Amino acid sequence: MLDKTCCPPSEQAVEHLRKAEHDLEQARRKEREAQKEVAEAEAEIKKAIEELEHPRVFKVEVLYDGIKKQFEVRVEETVKHLLDQAIRAFGQLPQPHTLALYNDGKELVDKQTIKEAGVKPCDVLLLRPSKVKGGA
Amino acid sequence: MRRPAAAPEQGEGRGLSMIYRLTQGMLESTFEQFRRCGRGHEECQALWVSSWDNPETISGVVHPKHAAHFGGFVLDDDWLNTFWLELGNINSGIRVQVHTHPREAFHSETDDKFPIIHKPGFLSLVIPNFALGPVGFKDAYLTEIQPDGRWRQVAIESRLVVT
Repeated sequence: MLDKTCCPPSEQAVEHLRKAEHDLEQARRKEREAQKEVAEAEAEIKKAIEELEHPRVFKVEVLYDGIKKQFEVRVEETVKHLLDQAIRAFGQLPQPHTLALYNDGKELVDKQTIKEAGVKPCDVLLLRPSKVKGGA
Repeated sequence: MRRPAAAPEQGEGRGLSMIYRLTQGMLESTFEQFRRCGRGHEECQALWVSSWDNPETISGVVHPKHAAHFGGFVLDDDWLNTFWLELGNINSGIRVQVHTHPREAFHSETDDKFPIIHKPGFLSLVIPNFALGPVGFKDAYLTEIQPDGRWRQVAIESRLVVT
């Protein structure tokens, strides 16, 4: 802002001031744009890390009778979908309703999605009967 | 409950199953386990396993952790998870499940419904009288999963050879 003085400022000085104020405004605009770009880049990085840590499509292994087979899963697919795929891959096993997938010692719930079931990339899931018993 | 079984026919189902060889020592070890664990009044199970590189040669007798009573047994769930991983680590598969009955050998409805392996060609051997009789296959019962999922009795000598 111009201070009021007894002597009017020279046109050159006024012009200099206007230019400086314009330059300052330009610099502030660039700063706001840069801040916006930084925020966008940070969001992209966060999204990329999220995708790395929690990819939507990844591979798991299923183990049955000592043999491992690899499957590609999507996080939104159900456990049942993978179970059916595995049963087919291991030779259309009879009595499929008696088989289940296990991870970390726990039976996975058929209706849950891969994400809800906590299945992660490179997990080794066990395809095994829910119960093994015999009796005369 | 006893279920009627079709008469075994030599050679039937071959191609889906193979002839497994096991040593006399393994058979004796299986009977010894049944007698020690079952003590003549509880059922017991053993699993005959072999490598996927040489599946026809039984390489080990596994005694599963289980709960048992006079007329049945149930495998321990945690043990089964651990064993499943171990099979993968040692590249081996279960070829035959073997268990005892109090009296005569046959495959019950429970035996049919809850085997450890469901693949066609998988064998289940039942030993009578809590394995208190002579070591061998006298009065034993062998059955095999067919491609349609049903069990079918097969002649023991058509699938198992003791060396």
